[in-house]
Amino acid sequence: MINIEHLTKYYGKHARGILDLSLEVKKGEIFGFIGPNGAGKSTTVRTLLNFIFPTSGTATVMGLDILKDTVEIRRHVGYIPAEVNYYDDMTVRDFLLYSVGFYEGVFQERMNELVEKLELDMDKKIGDLSFGNKKKVAIVVAFATEPELYILDEPTSGLDPLMQSRFFDLLEEEKRRGATIFFSSHVLSDVQRICDRVGIIKEGRLIKIETIDEILKTKAKNVRIISDNLVLKENGNIVNLKQNLNTYTFTYKGDMNYLLKSLQNYNIIDLSIVEPSLEEVFMHYYAKGDEDNEVVD
Amino acid sequence: MKLLIRTEFKRTFRSFILWASIIIGLTILEITLFPAFKDSISDLEAMMSTFPESFLELFGLTQGGLDLTTAYGWFGMEGYLFLLLIGGSYAGILGSGILSKEEDDKTIEFLLAKPISRNQVLLGKAIVVFINLVLLNVILFGVMSIIFASITDYEFETTLFICLGPLLLEVLFAAVSMFIGVFMTKSRTVMSTSLGIVMGLYFVEIIATVTDKLDFLKYFSPYEYVNAISVVKDHSIEPVYLLIIFGVILFSGFGTWFFYNRKDISV
Repeated sequence: MINIEHLTKYYGKHARGILDLSLEVKKGEIFGFIGPNGAGKSTTVRTLLNFIFPTSGTATVMGLDILKDTVEIRRHVGYIPAEVNYYDDMTVRDFLLYSVGFYEGVFQERMNELVEKLELDMDKKIGDLSFGNKKKVAIVVAFATEPELYILDEPTSGLDPLMQSRFFDLLEEEKRRGATIFFSSHVLSDVQRICDRVGIIKEGRLIKIETIDEILKTKAKNVRIISDNLVLKENGNIVNLKQNLNTYTFTYKGDMNYLLKSLQNYNIIDLSIVEPSLEEVFMHYYAKGDEDNEVVD
Repeated sequence: MKLLIRTEFKRTFRSFILWASIIIGLTILEITLFPAFKDSISDLEAMMSTFPESFLELFGLTQGGLDLTTAYGWFGMEGYLFLLLIGGSYAGILGSGILSKEEDDKTIEFLLAKPISRNQVLLGKAIVVFINLVLLNVILFGVMSIIFASITDYEFETTLFICLGPLLLEVLFAAVSMFIGVFMTKSRTVMSTSLGIVMGLYFVEIIATVTDKLDFLKYFSPYEYVNAISVVKDHSIEPVYLLIIFGVILFSGFGTWFFYNRKDISV
């Protein structure tokens, strides 16, 4: 569905956008594209939609060239930008009608259904909407025309948990309908929740593509234990161990059942097991990338 | 593209009404002042004879110039310049905002995600600018015809040229401003640059008119291309000037097309 080959984008002579990026998104899958801010996620998305021109490399979307067949590609793509900027002086209704008016077909019913689901007020001016509500308008814009491919750049930012959940329901519906979804985000949990495969990008380079299962397998947890009789030592599963009086913190990479069983022998005052931050996961991949001394396509 | 044109037209309509009101209001005021002024014309002519030639030339009042005793001559001296300057400013602001505002407000990211090419965006917006300017001058022509007819012998051709001259100048300024808007994306900067050009060139016109040595400067002043004597009195525009006007419009149009299709739209 999306085929990117050795795509490089420099802004000016030195500012790096993306470097030699290659990846393939298959039809019908939800592909997570994850990386910290400034990694090159939006650059990739904007290149695919031909807002910007690649410095080198090629890409096709649905078999169509991103430079030559721009209009045809856009006809089949629903796009949610990271930062929503629409015409402040238009009402939501006028704006949505303007947006769907660019496509052949009748989409009003679908539009109204989405507006209802996301609880949008159609009579409000765009300029009066909060960040989250603007994002909802962007969702309606992208979903109303039932495109074959969704290109979503940080789609959940600004949405409250209820709306996030409705948004994920929508995505799953679309997946069942056969749509392909390119989901760019820096929120690991979003990507975990919905994506089939994940590409990790850092400093403009794609450093890994994995399925979610593989990510979960390799992913470590941060553990904090308060205990007055615990004895702990670093080993292959327990790393970065720190002790402060009765409080132990460490990263645990092993089987969770084994850890919990072992703790039964001690007096545990408090226990917390949390996901490591995205940065920690990246560090993990970066270290691995250095070891392998390669950039994975 | 029809959808884009319709929406853009709605979006520019408020500013159109504002500028059209100012231009038409001033025109009505100017023409209706003529009957009162007519009575004291001999005093004015006496006063003018004391002014230096170059000063009179600036207002088109030298020999073979405008006849102040007619309503059209009076308007050619007084109101026509207003039309050029205010109409030119409107065209500059309109042309400079039409592209750059989308980038400044970052709404271009919405527009270019739709199934529409950059060329269609450009053409649609250029058409909206052109329609606005033509509409302004058509309305102006209608209003002027009524007012002139009510105070003097109506001259169809003169009235037509009084509206055609400024229209040419406005299209010229709008085209140049759109071209600048491709490179500058802060709409305020583009607007000030365009207004700077509109006003700056008027000073070039003044210098070209008052100093014989710098006569060649007239080729750089669009105000000279459509000066009052040629347009209002002689109903003509010199071929070389017409050539320059259309040349610059074509060059700006080509440049806008060429660079807009190759630029990174980074918001």
